[in-house]
Amino acid sequence: MADQKTPRALATQAAAKIPRMARANLAATVKAREEGKKMAYSFIVCAVDDIMRAMDILPGWGESFSGICAAKRDAERFLQKAESDNFSRSLCTYATCSLGFDMWREELGGEMPPSPPWGGMGRPDMILGSAQQLCDPRFKWPQATQHYLRDVPVFVGGMYYPPWDPTIDDKEQEAFYIKYNTEQLRACVRFCEKVTGKKMDWDRLAEVVDLTDRTWNLFVEAYELRKAVPCPMDTGDAMNTMVPISFMLGTQECYDFYRDLFEELTQKVAAKQGVAENEKYRLLWGAGLPSWFALGDFQYFNSKGAVFAAETTYRCGEAVYRLDIPKTDDPLEHIAWRWMRPWTHWYDKARQRQGSMPEVERLIEYIEEYKCDGVVFHSAFSCRSWHAGIMLQTQILKKVYRDIPVLIMEGDIVDVSSYNEADTRNSIDAFIETLASATGR
Amino acid sequence: MAQQRTDGLALAEKYYTEYGSRARELKAAGRKVIGYLSALGPVEVLTAAGVVPIRLKGSVSEPITKADAYMETIACPFIRNVFDSTLKGRFNYIDGMVMPHQCDSTDKTSNEWRYNLNLPYWHFLNVPHLTDDSSVDFFKSVLGVFIKSLERFTGREITAAALASAVAAHNENRRAMRALYNLRKADPPLISGSEMMKVLVAAMSLPVEESTALIRSVTEEVTQRPAPAGGRPGSRLMLIGDQVDDVAIPQVIEGAGARLVMDDLSIGGKIYWTDVDATPDALAGIAERYLRKVKLPTTFVSEGNTYEENLEARFGHLKRRIEEFNVNAVILFIYKYCDPYGFEVPSIKGFIESAGTPVLYLEDEYSTSTLGRVKTRVEAFLEMIA
Repeated sequence: MADQKTPRALATQAAAKIPRMARANLAATVKAREEGKKMAYSFIVCAVDDIMRAMDILPGWGESFSGICAAKRDAERFLQKAESDNFSRSLCTYATCSLGFDMWREELGGEMPPSPPWGGMGRPDMILGSAQQLCDPRFKWPQATQHYLRDVPVFVGGMYYPPWDPTIDDKEQEAFYIKYNTEQLRACVRFCEKVTGKKMDWDRLAEVVDLTDRTWNLFVEAYELRKAVPCPMDTGDAMNTMVPISFMLGTQECYDFYRDLFEELTQKVAAKQGVAENEKYRLLWGAGLPSWFALGDFQYFNSKGAVFAAETTYRCGEAVYRLDIPKTDDPLEHIAWRWMRPWTHWYDKARQRQGSMPEVERLIEYIEEYKCDGVVFHSAFSCRSWHAGIMLQTQILKKVYRDIPVLIMEGDIVDVSSYNEADTRNSIDAFIETLASATGR
Repeated sequence: MAQQRTDGLALAEKYYTEYGSRARELKAAGRKVIGYLSALGPVEVLTAAGVVPIRLKGSVSEPITKADAYMETIACPFIRNVFDSTLKGRFNYIDGMVMPHQCDSTDKTSNEWRYNLNLPYWHFLNVPHLTDDSSVDFFKSVLGVFIKSLERFTGREITAAALASAVAAHNENRRAMRALYNLRKADPPLISGSEMMKVLVAAMSLPVEESTALIRSVTEEVTQRPAPAGGRPGSRLMLIGDQVDDVAIPQVIEGAGARLVMDDLSIGGKIYWTDVDATPDALAGIAERYLRKVKLPTTFVSEGNTYEENLEARFGHLKRRIEEFNVNAVILFIYKYCDPYGFEVPSIKGFIESAGTPVLYLEDEYSTSTLGRVKTRVEAFLEMIA
């Protein structure tokens, strides 16, 4: 039985639209078959959004579904289902929650498990995984899913970027990385053509790629309005407004959402309307996926006068005009550049500061531009991808920048059993005291 | 010189117990020593560069006391333990490290190693997870970047001839180890699982020629002695996992009355069964082996027109080993927090069991602190299959 939890109050009208959009995304996956559409299980930051949209393939996002299960505190039964077939509780809980759901639906001959959160997800026609430096589950999760959906074809493409090395110029490696990533995207197109029985419309792909470029630009410009004091939107809302950029990229609806957000934030900035009644501390969400079952913690920060003006999470791209992408007529090559350059964007800055690293340079840039007094990280026990390496970031940040207050919260993304609200709020209280002492406010 | 000794098992015991002692000697003699992690450590390149490669290991009997201040506890317990050992100075003779991109725990902690150890040389080798032609070409380019970086560090060119020679030497080493493995096919096996573990660990701490000599010496010795007593007939086990590199687990298995006759570990069966093809461009053969031939869960294999064919491409070699070594049961030993291995437990377990071989799946730590629990599970399993 799902544990009923009062939803977090949202600061922006834009964020308030998100539940309806996310629910519609899920509902579309359920109806896809009867509407004659092909549906693909896909995974966030996969780089093939434009390809799917240009080929009318409907994406079904496991992370979104599992996050919704977590937010509704209704993930446990799916986690237990996965565990019953020997998937450890220490594995990525986005994956195990979604796997448990898939296992259950297959056992029911394709019928939905009882009362699935927001109607559940449809059965896919294909699975589009991704092998990266980002996350092992992106290629192991598709493989594990196929164990239960044996007739569903799987494609995994590689998308890599030159790793950070202060002694090696990443620019010298870009050519072979771009060549490889482009070839992998081309293989993805071939796979989708085979499964859909439809050829890629390259002109349409070019249009979608252009729309995605413009969306990224608008997204970043809208988010940069949060530099204003008081801050008109915080990370609590951003954990909602991430839905279009993460799950609807390459659609007009996604673009329109950020246009509306931009307008709303512009008005709020002009009216000096902030998230917190009395904004005392501005914070940076330094890294980590949130505990979807405890988004109310952001409001708890707000109640103490603390506002998250920026976050690195779900900001996996950069304004395209800042990436200095070489001109190309090949839309796939453009995607490859647009995907790779944000990862290497802070390399040059890191080289210029002795002992620094790109992730830390990004933190410093945001701390300064968004006037942040402290940094909060979240370490989710089931996710190594985003959460291993956080300790080093805090260590280097303090060493090469300044002794800024830092809090590392511990929990999980989906598994609520990892969470203790009283302990979490005690640690937030202690952090607020540290901020008060450090800022004199 | 150390290899003049003929008592191979005693020498293996020495190098197992005093892990890294030979590399330390060679360092003192002026050689550069490069540490690496995982089955993807490109030993041919290191050998061709003239450095002493040593695969790093942790200490299962030692608690982690330093690493937790610098590395998240959600990372692989093996990686944390080796990092802890390295921070404590166990490998204070190494000049540098190469960290192959095997999994998130190597990738995401790589900078934690680099910045906290501050070794003179560090290289993250960006191994892709795929096996298609473009991935092999890409990996060749990645190896090219590594070679240039290593050349800069050593001040010495890695020539095509040196690479070809290193490929031959490592192939020879693998052949020697396979010959030793073959002695485990006998019933009872001519070498116990615990002895074999010591040889595997010793072998990964030595320059390739010394490693080969050690393996041959052990092979000669065990061929000439009576087969070790112990172990019930009909209880021939295979151990599958990543870097299990201590005798603790083999001793639990053999102490419970079983015979450990085969493994598919990342320091054993996973690396010794496949050679590098002698290709005109040595890097092509090296890239091909590490991506396509070494069967690791961190490599996505897409072969097969059906799911069943795909399983055969991924795990078919295990069935063949089970037949060749007359294995009756399998222990699948997976470290906690390991997504690559963890996500394929149902498929690998189901695949092996479908051929009639029972599988015990254990998720555990890289630590003897949980050995009692492992012992209970192994004993119950052996009773069940008896």
